[in-house]
Amino acid sequence: MSKSIIFIQVQGRPGIIEAEVPESATLGELHEALAAAGAGVDAETFIFIDESEDHEQGERGQRVERLKRGSRVHLSRCRRIKTTVHYLDKTAERDFPPGARVRAVKDWAVRTFSLNPKDAAEHVLQICNSTKRPSSDTPLHELVDGTGCALCFDFVPEKRVEG
Amino acid sequence: MELPKPPDRIMLEQDLAAPEFRCGEIDGRWRYIGICWPYLTLAVSAPERPRSPLEFGFRFECSGYRQKPVTAQPWDLAADTPLPAPRWPTGPVMVSAVFRPEWKQGLCLYLPCDRLSIEGHDNWRSEHPNRLWRPERGIICYLEQIYDLFHQSDYSGIRSA
Repeated sequence: MSKSIIFIQVQGRPGIIEAEVPESATLGELHEALAAAGAGVDAETFIFIDESEDHEQGERGQRVERLKRGSRVHLSRCRRIKTTVHYLDKTAERDFPPGARVRAVKDWAVRTFSLNPKDAAEHVLQICNSTKRPSSDTPLHELVDGTGCALCFDFVPEKRVEG
Repeated sequence: MELPKPPDRIMLEQDLAAPEFRCGEIDGRWRYIGICWPYLTLAVSAPERPRSPLEFGFRFECSGYRQKPVTAQPWDLAADTPLPAPRWPTGPVMVSAVFRPEWKQGLCLYLPCDRLSIEGHDNWRSEHPNRLWRPERGIICYLEQIYDLFHQSDYSGIRSA
């Protein structure tokens, strides 16, 4: 049976794990692949594929339709991540799935705060009370600290490299 | 008799085989071209712009990897030569600040994570802490910055477009 590569990210654990699943894998086969990779799923863990809004659940024999070659499989204890963005004197909030990437939050913030394309290109998301500016590809659950399911960003101007 | 590989090359090859790099490759964010030690050649994808390519080649000089930062030069993959200045990527503010063919004769990018550019720019350590070289992340931290410049910034295509 031919296999597909997947990349597993576990909330609270640094790094990415590479694993193989059968093509057209069932939920049971996905669970087995996760366990074999040292990323077992318990009753408090949700499985999200890529940036999907919904977590994977159902019968073990059911095919995981969203799974494809190179998918990122996120194991998160959060069903949603409450995300707050501050821009100037404004604040906006929205819940995102754990696998949503930072670029999805930025795209939403640009629309919500009505930035023009020039300003959008010159602003980045910075984690509140830090200088950390995660790359656009980072999934949100990777940035959540401790036991919470919330994130806070400041939407700040990106300083041009000069001098 | 084949000489043993130096430790910096072994470390680089480990990183190129690691899930963080492979995930970006399968995602289509970057592509491995080859190693001619101490040089590594990669391509980074770019969004569609008029009369501009869908990826740019870079030749990284990687001696001392990962403890020493790498330095990257835009590279013509077909000709295997430095990329001519008219074909360098640009944009009104952010991208043109980084892709400066006149800086050090086009040998590197004007980024704090670049080994040649950080020399003499100690102010960047406090002004751009997120853009510095991070030995624990290696080549990924440089690639992510290039990729984000093309996809999350003001990239407008090549200079001559």
